[in-house]
Amino acid sequence: MPQIESIGSYLPPWAGRAGRIAGPDEDAITLAVAAGREALNGREVDRVVLVTRDHPLIEGGSAAVLLAGLGLSPGAEVVERNGGAAAALDAVTGAAPGTLVIGSDTGAGGEPAGAAAALVTDAPGGLELQAGVRMARSLPVRARGADGVTHDYDDPRLLRDRGLAETLRRVGEIAKPVALAGGTAAQARSACGDTAPELPTVGASASLFALAALAESGAGGTVLAADQASLSSAVLTGSGAAVVRRAERAARPAPASRRTDGPPIPISLPAYDRAFTPKLTLHAGRSADGTLTFPPRRGLTDGSEPELVALPRTGSVYTTTMINVPVPGMATPYALVIAELDDVGVRVLARVTGWEADRVAIGDRGRLVFRRVAVRSGIPDYGYAFLPDEPDEPGEPDEPGLSDVSGSGENEEQSA
Amino acid sequence: MRRVAVAGAGMTRFAEHFDLGIKDLLPMAVAECLESVDKGAPREDIEAAWFGELSTTDGFPAGILADSCELLDIPITHVENACATGNDAVRNGVFGIASGAFDVVLVVGADKVRESSARTTFWEWAGMTRDSAWDFPLGLIAPANFALHVSRYLYESGATREHMAMVAVKNHHNAVTNPKAQLRFEITLEQALGAPLVAAPFGLFDCTPQSDGAAAVLLVAEEVVDRYTDRPVWVRGVGLGLDRVMHQQKQDMTTFPATVRAAKQAFGMAGLTPSDVDVAEVHDCFSGVELISYEDLGFAERFGAKRLVENGETSVGGRIPVNPSGGLKAKGHPPGATGVAQCVELFHQLRGEAENQVDGARVALAHNIGGPTAVSAITVLGADRG
Repeated sequence: MPQIESIGSYLPPWAGRAGRIAGPDEDAITLAVAAGREALNGREVDRVVLVTRDHPLIEGGSAAVLLAGLGLSPGAEVVERNGGAAAALDAVTGAAPGTLVIGSDTGAGGEPAGAAAALVTDAPGGLELQAGVRMARSLPVRARGADGVTHDYDDPRLLRDRGLAETLRRVGEIAKPVALAGGTAAQARSACGDTAPELPTVGASASLFALAALAESGAGGTVLAADQASLSSAVLTGSGAAVVRRAERAARPAPASRRTDGPPIPISLPAYDRAFTPKLTLHAGRSADGTLTFPPRRGLTDGSEPELVALPRTGSVYTTTMINVPVPGMATPYALVIAELDDVGVRVLARVTGWEADRVAIGDRGRLVFRRVAVRSGIPDYGYAFLPDEPDEPGEPDEPGLSDVSGSGENEEQSA
Repeated sequence: MRRVAVAGAGMTRFAEHFDLGIKDLLPMAVAECLESVDKGAPREDIEAAWFGELSTTDGFPAGILADSCELLDIPITHVENACATGNDAVRNGVFGIASGAFDVVLVVGADKVRESSARTTFWEWAGMTRDSAWDFPLGLIAPANFALHVSRYLYESGATREHMAMVAVKNHHNAVTNPKAQLRFEITLEQALGAPLVAAPFGLFDCTPQSDGAAAVLLVAEEVVDRYTDRPVWVRGVGLGLDRVMHQQKQDMTTFPATVRAAKQAFGMAGLTPSDVDVAEVHDCFSGVELISYEDLGFAERFGAKRLVENGETSVGGRIPVNPSGGLKAKGHPPGATGVAQCVELFHQLRGEAENQVDGARVALAHNIGGPTAVSAITVLGADRG
């Protein structure tokens, strides 16, 4: 029987009206990577199911990018599934052992942003769950077609009276509902009582945030997941436990930022292709004499391709600058750093993420995290950005003081 | 190698020349250069030309120079070496004569930065100096390129934004009397420090403007110099240095090794030392870069640059005046023209006819540092043949 061994989550640090807001360098893939790495914690899987309504590419695909960001083999299967909370819950209950299920929400429709991921294995002791009742209904009060344009039906009472409430009436009695994902807090209390966990998102990731909350509280019962008028559910048998690792910093106001339109930023796809593996997996080149170079460079004596080795992801700021003038296609201000990585004598040039651009100083500690560096002529271009540590964060992320349950930083150092 | 002299020098005003194309600026600079030759220099005497241009606005550069200046019967070579293009073009022209191949050579530099719209310029120019996959998409715009160095320099050296502001105030002051300068107005320390931030630690007045312009020098062999002038300026040494291209692979960002390498070559060829230099045009695209360059060029000891500006040693009248023309900061910076225009200024300094004349100047140095701070070109000029 498949079981959830671990759950990871990620929330951007920026507070918005409805919840968290994704940063300008975040999309469904980078959010998924941030949560997925917390769930994996260095483990390998055969399959990744990404559930979101915000796939950055409908054509061109994100599979290789997702696997590289997660540190998984390019041989793993990737399912890019379109859907919300119900689809994400179905993806978990239907997952074969060795699957990482990720729900990712960018907040594209004004909804909160966040991502969560569940590692499904057949190792004994994990959190047991099985599929519950489902009902598909069509009441598309929000509709988005291939053109990407969102159409909202302007009658909020329709969804309230004929939406989820009507679906719940139709499916009849549900045994011990304990959480509702994909609905409002009021709907959750109405369906599950006052102990229903409050969830930070309402899209695909909401189901996995619900499972994380239940894993932490140890409550058994039925998890409901709504997607407009459609419903799915999963029954937690109350047996087993999942480790939960949350990369969820306290929310703070998003700094003022402006975007400047301009001509498309050009891209060379051959250059993109050559850089892909070291750039997206953060690998340096090691020469015959053991010297590490990043980006990797070809050997001088025999012209050979360098051996690639994983770099540590923590380090400190060697130098920095904040760019304050408008730059076409970029959100300004932004900060750049050259970060010196711990113990390897390798420096990385990176943009600062998840942090106010004017708060970066030489000597600050932080870690490299997977982000969308730019969108170049329609192509999302991924790489690593520098996330400064919170002042009260332990300097060394692998210190024993950092418990599994409250992992405070995403993307801890990859096991090489 | 044969000795090489500068017999003439001229340039257009540096400005936002929306009304003048590259084919207007080139003949203007070349005409002024040839007119400056004391005994005259017929265009037919020119045997070869080198043309420094970083970008091109109207087609391939060598052809544009040949066509616009009626130099159709001579070989013309285009030189591009990032912001060191100008002094590298001079260096190539010098070797053309020193080798014995030619007696009379024209060196021209030009660029039209303002030919592109402001928004287009960012990515166009970044594309010329950044790794396409790794650095280009990060938004490492030109000021940030140098700001990464200067942030670290301030952190280690104890110099401050006030020291950078002193450089900007000095160079703005020098430009006021230079009719060829783009920004001919004084600024105060308070204005410099209070200006809007561009890329920390650079405020607006720490930065060069975007400029259009052209400059030209006529180089001649010692053997024929008497035909052109009795007051030649001598090319004493040239040097070109390179460095790691990517900032993350530069070991010590408080210095520009490219400058150190170029200076070693140029001083070695001249048989001179930094203390022999009476006046210098130094690449001050950003005020803090002038400070670092004092040290790289040997005018100050390591982290001693702040003392030079505190004591006014690099002001006109000081021990080693730097950028009497106003520098890139206030004279302007059309990259291909910049290094050649530095030599134009120093030609006049060494002949005692400059606007901000440094009294008794006998040895002068022109310096560029450019691209991703990975190339430097230096020309050492002298009133004496050496």
